[in-house]
Amino acid sequence: MMIKDTNTIAAISTPLSSGAISIVRMSGPNSVKIADSVFKTKSGLTPSQFTSRMMMLGNFSASDFCEQAMCVVFRSPNSYTGEDVVEFQCHGGVQITKGILATLIKNGARLATPGEFTKQAFVNGKMALSDAEGMMDMINAQSDAEIRAGYNLLSGALSKCAFDAQKELVDILSELEVSFDYPEETIEYITKNNAKERLQNLQKVIDKVLKTSAAGQMIKNGVNVAIVGKPNVGKSSLLNRLLGDEKAIVTPIAGTTRDIIEGSFSINGLRFNLYDTAGIHETDDQIEKIGVDKAKNIIKSADIILFVKDTVNETDEDRNVKNLLDSHKHLIIINKADKLQNCKDTDNILYVSALNGSGIDNLTKRLYDMACEDKHMEGGLTIANQRHIDALSRASQSISDAIANIDTFTLDLITIDLNMAYSALGEITGNTTSEEIIDAIFSKFCLGK
Amino acid sequence: MKNSTKSKVNNVCLSYDAVVIGAGHAGCESALALARTGHKTAIITLDKNGVAFLACNPSIGGTAKGHLVCEVDALGGQMGINADKTTLQLRMLNMGKGPAVHSLRAQVDKHAYHDNMLETLLNQDNLTLIEDEATEILQEDGKVCAVKTRKGKEIKTNAVVVTTGVYLNSRTIIGEEIKDSGPSGFKNAKGLSDSLAKLGYEIVRFKTGTPPRLEKSTIDFKKFEVQKGDTHIQTFSFLTKKANKNTHVCYLGYTTLKTKQIILDNLSRAPMYSGVIVGTGPRYCPSIETKIVRFSDKDTHQIFLEPESARCSEIYVQGMSTSMPKDVQHQMVASVNGLENAQIVRYGYAIEYDCINPLGMFPTLESKHVKGLFTAGQINGTSGYEEAAAQGILAGINAHLYLQNKQQLILPRDSSYLGVLVDDLTMKGTIEPYRMMTSRAEYRLLLRQDNADARLTQIGRDVGLVTDERYNKFLKKMANIEKIKQKCKAIIKPSDELNDYLASVGETPAPNGLSIENLVKRSKVEAYSAIKALGLLKGFKKSELISALTEIKYQGYIAMEKQLIERERKLEEKRLTADIDYTLIKGLRKEAAEKLNQIKPLTIAEAGRISGVNPADITVLLMSINKL
Repeated sequence: MMIKDTNTIAAISTPLSSGAISIVRMSGPNSVKIADSVFKTKSGLTPSQFTSRMMMLGNFSASDFCEQAMCVVFRSPNSYTGEDVVEFQCHGGVQITKGILATLIKNGARLATPGEFTKQAFVNGKMALSDAEGMMDMINAQSDAEIRAGYNLLSGALSKCAFDAQKELVDILSELEVSFDYPEETIEYITKNNAKERLQNLQKVIDKVLKTSAAGQMIKNGVNVAIVGKPNVGKSSLLNRLLGDEKAIVTPIAGTTRDIIEGSFSINGLRFNLYDTAGIHETDDQIEKIGVDKAKNIIKSADIILFVKDTVNETDEDRNVKNLLDSHKHLIIINKADKLQNCKDTDNILYVSALNGSGIDNLTKRLYDMACEDKHMEGGLTIANQRHIDALSRASQSISDAIANIDTFTLDLITIDLNMAYSALGEITGNTTSEEIIDAIFSKFCLGK
Repeated sequence: MKNSTKSKVNNVCLSYDAVVIGAGHAGCESALALARTGHKTAIITLDKNGVAFLACNPSIGGTAKGHLVCEVDALGGQMGINADKTTLQLRMLNMGKGPAVHSLRAQVDKHAYHDNMLETLLNQDNLTLIEDEATEILQEDGKVCAVKTRKGKEIKTNAVVVTTGVYLNSRTIIGEEIKDSGPSGFKNAKGLSDSLAKLGYEIVRFKTGTPPRLEKSTIDFKKFEVQKGDTHIQTFSFLTKKANKNTHVCYLGYTTLKTKQIILDNLSRAPMYSGVIVGTGPRYCPSIETKIVRFSDKDTHQIFLEPESARCSEIYVQGMSTSMPKDVQHQMVASVNGLENAQIVRYGYAIEYDCINPLGMFPTLESKHVKGLFTAGQINGTSGYEEAAAQGILAGINAHLYLQNKQQLILPRDSSYLGVLVDDLTMKGTIEPYRMMTSRAEYRLLLRQDNADARLTQIGRDVGLVTDERYNKFLKKMANIEKIKQKCKAIIKPSDELNDYLASVGETPAPNGLSIENLVKRSKVEAYSAIKALGLLKGFKKSELISALTEIKYQGYIAMEKQLIERERKLEEKRLTADIDYTLIKGLRKEAAEKLNQIKPLTIAEAGRISGVNPADITVLLMSINKL
């Protein structure tokens, strides 16, 4: 059985812009050979003659241009991907960078899919699955906070938590198992109460990490902010003010609300997605009714609601809108502050002027604080990956099953729950062997004839 | 009896369908399985007095091992029947714990055990016992074809099962005294190691040991705590109708600080620490000197005094396995309260022996290099009579299937402890003598002693090992279990009797009555005794009731384990072929590729259990086989 083995991939590794330099990276078994055909130093050396990890100056020859560039070769397995890697550093500039990539592809490389270098690194055993996932999140990160979350995962903070939890589980399991396999030894066997206490502590640790997942999700997907209010109170101008100040990136996001998202902006590196709503008011008009229903849905899925009014006084219509907010996290925004007097902000009432921008700084600060409330952002550990959240939740659930059953069932049954917790954690750490429990038994206890 | 022994032993032909080398616990099961499935079989032993000899502890069963004995029995093997016949004392261990870990252990009469097994072999049709030493196994075109013996015979055969136990190139060690010998003074086997290496097996060296035996009349038993057997005796075999009575007791005592000091003072003379012993010993069965060195904070260690036989006065000292010099053994024994004047009948010793790296065989126990060549028991790197017997019957079954040109039997991990054992050996290998433990089985609640027949008897029947008697009994039991489960849906009417019972176990009353099912499921209710106390489900056997009620009571957990099996089964269905060169799979780490090439797993699930193959490698494997 042969598996085809000629995939050499290439891509531009720096943002495609007119920066000072750009890097084009190529990885795979043919990368040095392809580089030989396009790059030569002044003294006539080609990449296959370069010392690994030594940067060489030379000429890159494309079909329609010849450009001075730097070239460095990383030979397998000592490279990011574990395969032969060649990188070209060239003068920044969209045309030249694209030209270099096009030449490599013409000579036998294939355009890499997003994250494929990292995937190769993982596949070649250069990094653990959770590290690779962290790197992927980093590559796909759209804001500074996402990059920080990605970095934490990469640095193994999460693996460490799962690893520690697994270690404690192995310890508890070995104490339980030894009592089944060696029931007649002079050992102080673990008691139900002791096991229960240790499991409760363990669960606390896991649940604390799980709580950070809310923050992780928020960092990854952004904070959804809906702007509501009756027609003509200045919702759109407020929206434009918020987006305009931040050079809005209009990002279509998958999901049911994609047709209403207006744009995203970031505050302190945290991404906020703004949703505009049709003015909410009772109506018999069929078409407008659809818009109103949609708005109600947006309110349901939003993290924070900005309720925009143009006076302090509440009309009946305002009260209708307010009823929709229920217990949602919201701010009341009195717009057109430029036309009012006595504009003193309170806990949840802010005065702004979308027209002249007054109060907007205050508003963004409040938005950021509200988003970070209850999200345990301070610990630094965040999980921005659904798979990990899922695995940790299952581990926590199994441990809580064990705690619930420990008083009524025998300890050997409790190990079924605990083994499920162990293998759920193993999906993060990669450790799934029962051999570890047996090793722990023998290293801790003096057993046998 | 004596006459028939003479007539059958050494009545050697020059051609057999199958040859079994070695007549220990593995060899006996292999030979019986082959002969009982109709093959003309020879079993070669160095000395017929060593047949099914209990060279170490005089007991059968114990945690996880009891399960193996029940499984051998369910498949149609001999060990359970023989242990039941020769029981001196019997205990069900772990009774305070759940049904998954209930484990039967019998002290057996080691002389009677040997006699009974020898008689079984000699009375078996198609089976010839040969006293000789196998020195070479011959192959032709990759198939086994003959066995050469020390006495110069060349026995033609199509299948060979090698079960050499601890006899291969063995040497025994007592302090400075090293002997070229098998266990208990039996002859050892030479020559076959080279032959096995030539046939492609990797030879490794393991070590085990045994404690001294004492003369009963010189022990002051008053200083020990008596350990009695169970009041209600259960049996290993599903066939045994009437269990033996407890006729003997065991005794519990402790080593002293003085024992510890004697050992520490003489450590330089301990072969384990002076560099004399090179073989790898088991962690779970350490010598007393190892225990004292490794767990130096413990001042005393427990020992059990166990009877070796009703026919002799030898007492086995469980917990005092040692290879210390004889004079030190005398001091050690005398340092124990009650053993001050005890006389050592036989000294403790360590034994080193050759075995094979089990990664050299398929999960059928057949060699990866030579067709028709099987190995079973300690030669595969295991320890224990029960582990040996279980492999023995599997090797016998597969040699039979090989001879019939049928697909061989692989027992999955969710079928049996035997399946777990063989899977561990052939996927992970072992760096020490492998002992079965309940913690090695991931589906423990499904692999109980009481349902070994439900798991395996049909398989035994299909290969032709299960007799009509056993099979009919089995079918009846299964039918009755179903009946019981149906009857458990019935409602028990509210009564004072019911509520009194519930109160007596600390449960809340049931004013409207409740179904038997719900009664059994209550956490403080012990199912079997509740049924007895309330006079329910009459007319069924205890074994039937226990199986049925266990399945009802633990329904939730059983369902959970079944779910796990289902998940794993998907990976079991993804098959790998033996011709894959894993070094050619792009992205597979070198270590993983080498391990996979060495082991050649048959499924993705097996690949995942190989040590050195991590989940990332499995992802790569899945990706690459999906491309094929």
